[in-house]
Amino acid sequence: MKNTPIVGTSVPRMEGRDKVTGHSRYVDDMVLPGMLYGATVRSRIPRGKIRKITFAPAIDWNEFVIVSPRDIPGKNCIALIEDDQPCLADGIVNHPEEPLLLLAHPDRHLLPKAVEAVSIEYDPLPAIFTMEESEAQSQIIWGADNIFKSYLIEKGDVDAVWQNADHIVEAEYTTGAQEQLYIENNGMIASFDPQQGLTVWGSLQCPYYVHKALMKLFGLPADRVRVVQMETGGAFGGKEEYPSMIAAHAALLAMKSGKPVKIIYDRMEDMAATTKRHPSRTRHRTAVAKDGRILAGEIDFTIDGGAYKTLSPVVLSRGAIHAGGPYYWPSVRIRAKAVATNAPPHGAFRGFGAPQSLFALERHMDRIAQVVGLSPAEIRRRNFLKPGQTTTTGQTVNEAIDLSKLLDRALELSEYDSKKNKFAQENQQGRRKKGVGIAAFLHGAGFTGAGERFLGSVVGVEACDDGSLRILVSSTEFGQGTNTALCQIVAEALSLRYEDVAIAQPDTQEVPNSGPTVASRTVMVVGKLVQSAAVGIRKTLTASGMLEESYSPEEFRAACRAYVAEHGKLRSFVQYEQPDDIVWDEEKYRGSAYAAFAWAVYIAEVTVDLTTYSVAVDDFVALQEIGKVLHPVLAKGQIIGGVAQGIGFALYEKVVWEQGRMQNGQMTNYIMPTSADLPPIRVYFEELGNIHGAFGAKGIGELPMDGPAPAIINAIEDALHVPFNSIPLLPEDIFAALSESAVLEALVPSARGDR
Amino acid sequence: MNESSEQRAKCEISFTVNGKLQTVHAYPMERLLDVLRHELGLTGTKEGCGEGECGSCSVLIDGLLVNSCLIPILQASGAKIVTIEGLATDGRLQFLQQSFLECGGAQCGICTPGMILAAYHLLSKKPQPTLEEIREGLSGNLCRCTGYMQIVEAVAEAARLGAVR
Amino acid sequence: MRAHPAEYKLVAPGTLTAVLSLLARDPGVWLPIAGGTDVMVQYSAGKLPARKLVSIWNLPELRRIEVSADEVRIGAGCTYTDLREHEIVNSEFALLTSAASWTGGIANQNRGTIGGNIVNASPAADSLPALLVYDAELLLVSAQGERRVPYANFHIDYRKTRLAPGELVRAVCLQKQFSGYYAHARKAGARNAQAIAKVCLAALGRMAEGAVEDIRLAMGSVAPVPIRLIETERIVKGKQIDPQLIQLAKTSAAAEVRPIDDIRSTPRYRAAVAGNLVAEFLEHLGARGSRNENGKDVLARWNELPSLEAAQNILPCCGSKAWARGMADRRPIFDGAALLAACDEIWKSLRESDWLEAFRSHPRIGESRSPASAPAQSAAWSGGEQQKVAAAGEDVKVALNEGNRAYEQRFKRIFIVCAAGKSAPEILEILQRRLQNDEKTELHEAAEQQRQIAHLRLKKWLSS
Repeated sequence: MKNTPIVGTSVPRMEGRDKVTGHSRYVDDMVLPGMLYGATVRSRIPRGKIRKITFAPAIDWNEFVIVSPRDIPGKNCIALIEDDQPCLADGIVNHPEEPLLLLAHPDRHLLPKAVEAVSIEYDPLPAIFTMEESEAQSQIIWGADNIFKSYLIEKGDVDAVWQNADHIVEAEYTTGAQEQLYIENNGMIASFDPQQGLTVWGSLQCPYYVHKALMKLFGLPADRVRVVQMETGGAFGGKEEYPSMIAAHAALLAMKSGKPVKIIYDRMEDMAATTKRHPSRTRHRTAVAKDGRILAGEIDFTIDGGAYKTLSPVVLSRGAIHAGGPYYWPSVRIRAKAVATNAPPHGAFRGFGAPQSLFALERHMDRIAQVVGLSPAEIRRRNFLKPGQTTTTGQTVNEAIDLSKLLDRALELSEYDSKKNKFAQENQQGRRKKGVGIAAFLHGAGFTGAGERFLGSVVGVEACDDGSLRILVSSTEFGQGTNTALCQIVAEALSLRYEDVAIAQPDTQEVPNSGPTVASRTVMVVGKLVQSAAVGIRKTLTASGMLEESYSPEEFRAACRAYVAEHGKLRSFVQYEQPDDIVWDEEKYRGSAYAAFAWAVYIAEVTVDLTTYSVAVDDFVALQEIGKVLHPVLAKGQIIGGVAQGIGFALYEKVVWEQGRMQNGQMTNYIMPTSADLPPIRVYFEELGNIHGAFGAKGIGELPMDGPAPAIINAIEDALHVPFNSIPLLPEDIFAALSESAVLEALVPSARGDR
Repeated sequence: MNESSEQRAKCEISFTVNGKLQTVHAYPMERLLDVLRHELGLTGTKEGCGEGECGSCSVLIDGLLVNSCLIPILQASGAKIVTIEGLATDGRLQFLQQSFLECGGAQCGICTPGMILAAYHLLSKKPQPTLEEIREGLSGNLCRCTGYMQIVEAVAEAARLGAVR
Repeated sequence: MRAHPAEYKLVAPGTLTAVLSLLARDPGVWLPIAGGTDVMVQYSAGKLPARKLVSIWNLPELRRIEVSADEVRIGAGCTYTDLREHEIVNSEFALLTSAASWTGGIANQNRGTIGGNIVNASPAADSLPALLVYDAELLLVSAQGERRVPYANFHIDYRKTRLAPGELVRAVCLQKQFSGYYAHARKAGARNAQAIAKVCLAALGRMAEGAVEDIRLAMGSVAPVPIRLIETERIVKGKQIDPQLIQLAKTSAAAEVRPIDDIRSTPRYRAAVAGNLVAEFLEHLGARGSRNENGKDVLARWNELPSLEAAQNILPCCGSKAWARGMADRRPIFDGAALLAACDEIWKSLRESDWLEAFRSHPRIGESRSPASAPAQSAAWSGGEQQKVAAAGEDVKVALNEGNRAYEQRFKRIFIVCAAGKSAPEILEILQRRLQNDEKTELHEAAEQQRQIAHLRLKKWLSS
């Protein structure tokens, strides 16, 4: 057969050539004949009733298409988990920037003024902006109690442990909102035909989420709604659920006008109006034995969901399940809840709850270490999960992961011990303090518990006229390598060449629903299905006698051509079936939460400059076990990119809120790292394999988001001996903490001649 | 003509783009970015922020890297402009484009045109830059996907291959 | 894009005279636009009040730099890139070029102009503190004629200047009188590039007979306009720089600034960092003294430094902190021979861990990048020493690479050799020979090489 492996090799990116020549087609690059441009009139207040809407006479409104809630044919909602979020607010607004009306015009330059010319009078209602205000329930803004969802995870007997604990360690940790900041803003084009139905093209992660939402909004059957993904310039979760909203808006304008409509947000609108990472607050209370072993713990994990439910229950779920990290908890009680505030709904962002709860946990481990008198490395060693032990949800670790050895390797690669000693010495003088910090963590790939079974993903592979194969999935490419990895899998599974396989553009008219492109599931879950579907093609060919058991790529292609010529088409579809060893109790929230965990230890080295109080990350080691590396360059790129976002989460990216509205919604004022800010990030892999993933792969897209923030804040504490429990941690925060205590003087003795 | 229609007057502005002479009939304050994308159909240059921060609208004007979202078209009169579409000659990829493909320098691709032009500009001034100089030269181009390392490697690799002749 | 291009008029008369007569004809109507890096941002956000603009981009009269015996006249239309690339501006007015280098990214430096920075009059503008310490004067021009004003009086409030209607800034005039000064600038921003300053300092200082003869401190982002810290300058001038003076200056600076609370930072942070930046400048000034003082000996100056500074100052010669401290403790040292002798004595007395630390400050043979922890001077010297290796052929480099890895695998540290003057094939031969050494022999060979490197660097240091 074939000798060069494709899986495990860095083959050229499938759509790479177009990307480097400027030929890729993103939504704003497409123009349809007669196309109008759309814009959104949005609420300026956080909460209140709409009393009156006035259209200023200076504008010739006859030229404009105007859509209001009355124009919605089906249900005025963006269907997701619940139908509480309106497509257009009708009578009552619950957050700043909430969409109220839509306008369209052939000349896009006329829209900004027109939007300004619509004035809304409100009767404001009291609004709430923090988790604490929401919990206080003095204002009920959602449901009966402001709580979107809550979970209780219990294991063992927590209450019995407190009296006998040698130590009880308590602390609270918070994380702020984070903007996904894909460089391509949200955009959609919609076209409506009374017979054919509705078509939308856009920047999105999940064509079938949009499809489902549009069906409900328009009251259309599945075959009269078509969603096509265009080349998407970054997503990171920010285009998981939000695209349904902007697609709905473009579609309504298209329906009303009878013309295609394009809506492209500018950066200010995208930042202010679309989803962000859920802010979080985690309270830990942990019973620890003298030797550092965790005996039991109570973890209170709360996230701020903004004004509507959207995906908060799922973010909450993942955050709660990851709250115990890669450690053995004999007993634990995790109380998790998602609460409502009058901010634009928060949503999916790489990591999806886990970066929040793991930040808290990994900071807390360092605190436990201090209380007990052990090193950060040792406290982790003594608590790491071992094969055969169970997680906080009672899932048995049934792979041969050795976390202690992983830690050893990370410590060696980063020269942790010698640096720690060296810095302790050097920090005694001067204004630059250095430190090193550890984070150990895990990330479950695929949908939680019964989620994958519920999704019931379907994939297809078909033979084309020229004998090549084409993958049919709704899984989207947005830089992470979906196209490349899936084609590698098929080529490898069938011993073909990489060039013999292609992948269809995700178009709900052409491809089945392989589930959303989220949850680090594409390579692991969808890839495995694609592998099976590919094998199905081969089985059909051999059964038909057109293909020998042993064949060359050319022979395979010839067989496909022959089969298609005779039978008209050659297609193989496979649907997901839950493996028997993944058993999950949705009521008690116990059992096997994920088909596979990836494991990691990250080590950060920082310098804190006490002249400006800024932190530089000087070195970063990212070591992870991810099953199988399908494509070294892509895998490394995912880790580095995720670490960069994690560094931003920790040190740079602050959303400045006022009355529920983001105030720093420009790239000048929302700070993400440039190339001058990041160190070389050193990436290393271990490969244990995974029975549930294609060629043993596990998901890795979100993993790198979990570790950097706690590793960095741990390193800063190592440098300054001052704990910080809240991110983002800006120089102003470091200064404030240091100047409050006498610590600053002690750190940098000033008026003495004792050098 | 009265004041307002005088104000509304478009004018004829000529410049070369990727070696080809172009004449557009545009308002003088139209952004070069919009003229390239909408009038000339050269959609390889992208808009990421509209405020000169992200660099995805980068083009070369008379050999200098600029953010086309900040240039009124009148000021481009008579200029020699190069966009991403002008880099591959006769279908043969520039070394930079090749090294971006090999090193993983392009993930979602939206920053890539601007990034490649910034790298091209850097190499035209410093054919053998240090890693620090590469980072500085690209510091005006934001990438959210890659964390920059594989981009820096791609530029270093292209430099090694003697990219800019 | 929130503005409608149809509502704006932009003309480009093409000569300064034509622009000025347009401005005179319709005072207050036409907004000059040069590179557009400020105006176009406001325009795109739909926040530009002006509807008529006149382009002054690339006007030849504005975009030249004239150097005479005493003065450098920088045209207001010069871009930051123009400044960075001009040899005289770089050598005489380094604070201006460093400000230019940290304004925006390369693309914005290619368009942003010094005149635009001045007239836009943001208190956070990067170049303005430098203009203050250099006592810049502005040449203002209108259809009526020219006038020359000190920059210090020009910027009167937040985004407000004394520019009269119909006037343009024609040039910035700087006197060539600062080469005897030590120049220091630092900006505190939210990130290392493309950051609006939260606080920035441009400073000049000159020492004479151990005391501060002249000092100029200007800061941005700490008041509605960039300011000179007059009071702090007064406290420092004429005094010797010691820890007490530095603390006084720090407190004075923190009190002298009037920072605001805004979306980027807090007043307390800005005040504290202002004090810290001034203190840092004084520490450097005290340690380095005057850059171009004639007749003063490197050793004599080094002998006078505080102990910690002396160690830090000589560290790049060897890389071992213990060695550096040892050298500092040996002072005063009066000549080169004694210096080298002290070096050898101390080097021989060190522990293995100190030797290893010294080894770690080098990049691998054949690599251009020093470890991030190595001081800049050390990295620069490494680059020079490895010149011949850098120029070697591919196959030799590959062999060196392989040899390095084999060495590291064997001895768990990088291969140290005194590379200066040696060709790559020579080094390769040495490497291959030493790969056969046993542990103990090899450690001593490496240490001997390190000693030779230290000698070479000490000699360079003496003549710096």
